Amino acid sequence: MTDLVVSTIYPSDRRGMRRVEALLGSEGIRLDRNLDYTCAIIDDDGAMIATGSCFANTLRCLAVDGSHRGEGLLNSIVTHLMEVQSARGNTRVFVYTKEEASPMFVDLGFHEVVRAPGSVVFLENRRDGFASYLRRLETRRIQGRAVSAIVMNANPFSLGHRYLVEQAARASDVVHLFVVSEESSIFPFDVRRRLIAEGTADLPNVVLQDTDSYMVSSATFPSYFQRDEEAAIRGQALLDLTVFTEIARRLGITRRFVGDEKASFVTRLYNETMASLLPTKGIACVQLRRLEVGGRVVSASTIRQAIHDRDEELLRSLVPETTLRLLTSPDAEPIRRAIAASTDLAHY
Amino acid sequence: MKIIKPALAGTLESSDAQVSVEPSTDGLEVSIESSVMNQYGRQIKATVMETLGRLDVTSGRITVIDKGALDGTLKARVECAVMRSESTSEAGIPWGGAIR
Repeated sequence: MTDLVVSTIYPSDRRGMRRVEALLGSEGIRLDRNLDYTCAIIDDDGAMIATGSCFANTLRCLAVDGSHRGEGLLNSIVTHLMEVQSARGNTRVFVYTKEEASPMFVDLGFHEVVRAPGSVVFLENRRDGFASYLRRLETRRIQGRAVSAIVMNANPFSLGHRYLVEQAARASDVVHLFVVSEESSIFPFDVRRRLIAEGTADLPNVVLQDTDSYMVSSATFPSYFQRDEEAAIRGQALLDLTVFTEIARRLGITRRFVGDEKASFVTRLYNETMASLLPTKGIACVQLRRLEVGGRVVSASTIRQAIHDRDEELLRSLVPETTLRLLTSPDAEPIRRAIAASTDLAHY
Repeated sequence: MKIIKPALAGTLESSDAQVSVEPSTDGLEVSIESSVMNQYGRQIKATVMETLGRLDVTSGRITVIDKGALDGTLKARVECAVMRSESTSEAGIPWGGAIR
């Protein structure tokens, strides 16, 4: 047996990346735009025979050359990538793959979370990861006839968010309000969650829930945070929403409320996918017109712009008292600085 | 001893095992998967538990993905993962004993 070495392919290595893309292409896989680590195995003749990549806590774009199947190359690639993840401090790792390849990942210690239409399988390296997340949610299950859900990032919580929650709360017995737990936004998770909690404290039938790594996360929906192409966004939205339908089933959720979207490309595609998928799973999708103030829709992007421009008057008209208090407090200094330094405040 | 820092040892190659250790809120949780579970599952579990016992690990989430490792390999991978988690230096390796 010859010793095959797994070597890192750096993004600056254009030729290497082209070969990765060609190998993936020959196996019918698209090279993701958002990767932060890539490796490959080169054989003695200099041919690239296996490759794999990472983005955040996920493994992606894995392929083995068709003529080298059954040699355990995928094992070497996954071992290497798991060491990369371990060095990053990620102990929970996710992978998605085509249905026919999923048994191989099961053999490498991965466990199925969901299967999305279009035969994509989403797996994680925890035996009971998703199951224990669902159990945790269920401890906060509340009986009711009309059980609704909202998923929001709230970066930060605005009057628009407040309006959406209020409408849902009025029309439902219980509203499960999922706060995107992923730390990829200007406002950290604990701040976003606290502002939502404070801003909805007067609505007793609203229950706050976490999304963990399972909804709108870099694992299920990386293109929410990083630019990508339309086909990729739609595929990821479908996966994300399939996870949601599982959660909905466990909590008895029959309706999901969303604000309509004109400004953000990615949210619009997500909403479109939602409107076509959820009704087939017995979940109604209620799209509300966005709240307008002074003829403009209230959006978190506008708020971030207002903070950037130090336009307190505009800010005051867009956010509830609770959010304004934080934004103008000394605690928010790091956030104000981050926004001041940022040039790309709108969600694409 | 409690596992406080996550660590990883071993590979997924044939005849090896990948062992990861992480902190746990629920005492000692050991999860074992093996390509030869039906034939050697009990023996693998006994070896892992014995090694953890000898290292005096009382709390942690231990995941073993076994690809047909021999007992010695399995023992070495478990020890290595625990010692990496403890950042045990060369001088401090407790050959055959518990970590202090």
